[in-house]
Amino acid sequence: MKSLSFDLAVSLIAGIFVCLIVLPMLALFTTTSFGELVCQLKSPLVLSAVLISLETSLAVVFLALCLGIPVAYLLAMKDFKGKEILDTLVDLPICMPPLVAGLALLILLGGNSKFGGMLSSHGIDLIFSKKGIIIAQLFVSIPFLIKSARDAFESINKNVINASLTLGASKFYTFKTILLPLAKNGIYTGMIMTWARALGEFGATSMVAGCIPFKTETMTVAIYQNAMSGDLAASTAVALLLLVFSFTLLLIFKSRVRVQAG
Amino acid sequence: MGIVLKEISKSYDGRAVLKNLNLEINQGEFHVLLGPSGGGKTTTLSVMAGLTEQDSGSVSIGGRDVSNLSPDKRRIGFVFQDHALFPHLTVFDNVAYGLRVRRIKGHDITRKVEYYLSKVSIAKEKGKFPHQLSGGQKQRVALARALVIEPEILLMDEPMSSLDAMTKETVRDELKSIQQEIGVTTVYVTHDQNEAILLGDRVSVLNNGKVEQIESPSELFHHPKTEFVARFVGIKNILNVSPIRINNHEAAVLINNDGMEHPIRIRVKKYPVFEKGKEINLCIHPKKITLKREEETYAGDLNRIRGKIVKRTNNGNGFMAIVDIGSTTLHAAISSDFKVHENVWVCFAPDAPHPLCGKKCREPEQQRKCFVTTQVDRLKAEGC
Repeated sequence: MKSLSFDLAVSLIAGIFVCLIVLPMLALFTTTSFGELVCQLKSPLVLSAVLISLETSLAVVFLALCLGIPVAYLLAMKDFKGKEILDTLVDLPICMPPLVAGLALLILLGGNSKFGGMLSSHGIDLIFSKKGIIIAQLFVSIPFLIKSARDAFESINKNVINASLTLGASKFYTFKTILLPLAKNGIYTGMIMTWARALGEFGATSMVAGCIPFKTETMTVAIYQNAMSGDLAASTAVALLLLVFSFTLLLIFKSRVRVQAG
Repeated sequence: MGIVLKEISKSYDGRAVLKNLNLEINQGEFHVLLGPSGGGKTTTLSVMAGLTEQDSGSVSIGGRDVSNLSPDKRRIGFVFQDHALFPHLTVFDNVAYGLRVRRIKGHDITRKVEYYLSKVSIAKEKGKFPHQLSGGQKQRVALARALVIEPEILLMDEPMSSLDAMTKETVRDELKSIQQEIGVTTVYVTHDQNEAILLGDRVSVLNNGKVEQIESPSELFHHPKTEFVARFVGIKNILNVSPIRINNHEAAVLINNDGMEHPIRIRVKKYPVFEKGKEINLCIHPKKITLKREEETYAGDLNRIRGKIVKRTNNGNGFMAIVDIGSTTLHAAISSDFKVHENVWVCFAPDAPHPLCGKKCREPEQQRKCFVTTQVDRLKAEGC
């Protein structure tokens, strides 16, 4: 009897959780009609926000691969002084509030700082530009790729790597022909997580790049701007589109995990 | 190509794993590194391969100093304990990997891979992935992969530890015949005495980071030099003694740390290793020990030590008693009517103990063995 009441209590709590997630999403769907949604999505402002978001988030995934894979390899395969510090640095952007990250980037890259001034003098302006968006998104999302790739590298049997070396392969050849193929599922997962995080980034992006329509207004920024200016229909349209993106990415991620587990 | 390890030392976190280890392996030899876990066998092999960097000492392969070379420059083949096949490559591609690294032409790769796959009897499985193979098949692929690059030396780290007894026997025989045919210098790590006997031209027993004894299997098992080697190769009864009187034929010795008042007498005429006061280890075969009940008549010329039976086992060939004699226990072959906890006299003739000196004594072989049925004899008897 006691176990039945316990099961009931747990189910009720789970029901509350489901409501917490589903009700806000339903609210989004109920505030608009399909016709209005299509009409909003055709507006140049919304289309521009979608394109900017896709463009910057895909660039972030590419840059995260270039920067993140070597860091993941280093953390997984090597023992060196300062490894703990590097490991903590990887985790830091996940724990840091995005607004703080944005502020830090704004101070570093702004024209008033030495570094920002130096870049500016060479004609590189990162603040209030797409490049700024990419840097902000990269800052907050790269840990997802590094952590996932690191786990994948660590799960490879060390003797498999040693076997390659004893067969005469160099470290780079081993990396290319053994490590990367064996870690590919983990890397794909990291890429999806990074893309999803970059796509949904708001705090750091708005601090670094502002909210300039047709220039730096990403989907998340557009949702915020439209909602604050009272255009709930436009805000909802972008939000629903972002929801579809997130849901699709999550589905891909889940299916990859299932493939790995299988 | 021969291998020479000179004064190799290696520590992990301050714990010495290899201590000034010296080892010379001849060209074409099948050399077995035998020892318990933690003895330094795998580290020695790893140092030879360049997978582990030694703290000091040098490694030469075929007269070439490879001490500072990375594994890919040492021209070695390595077979790992867990096979370490590349899981994303087929059997063919696994074996071809080392050849592709060397940029060998496609048709030569096919020819060589197929030759070695046939040699290890796995050609039919060339399209399969490692997860589709049995343990024995994986082992064969690992061997073919190591051999196809025609290495100067072949290193094998307990490659059969995960195989079942029947597969192990088949793979072992094949391995020995392939090694003899190719003539590649082979170093084989194992903790299995049977493998050491059946595979090795010579066997090194490693203990605590040092080589305790290097010998042919037969010599090693018949003439262990140290107590450790003796115990490791299966000798049960070892007594540490100090001679107190020696004449031409006999010595009186005290069992050390035993507190026994009366010395035991042993025959020394044919053994030139006895010195007064110098500790030596003696071994006695269980069948040379007779147990007598306390009340039985004392036979004058036998040594006798008071003891208590602490365990009785039946090993299939007869009963064995483990007798506590104070500081140590002795194994004795007995008739079935002795019981556990029974007080007995442990009796043995003066010529029963054999010194662990490692030197050949001048006795006929049957008499000089520490034990009548050694591992070697047993395996020979079984037709191995």
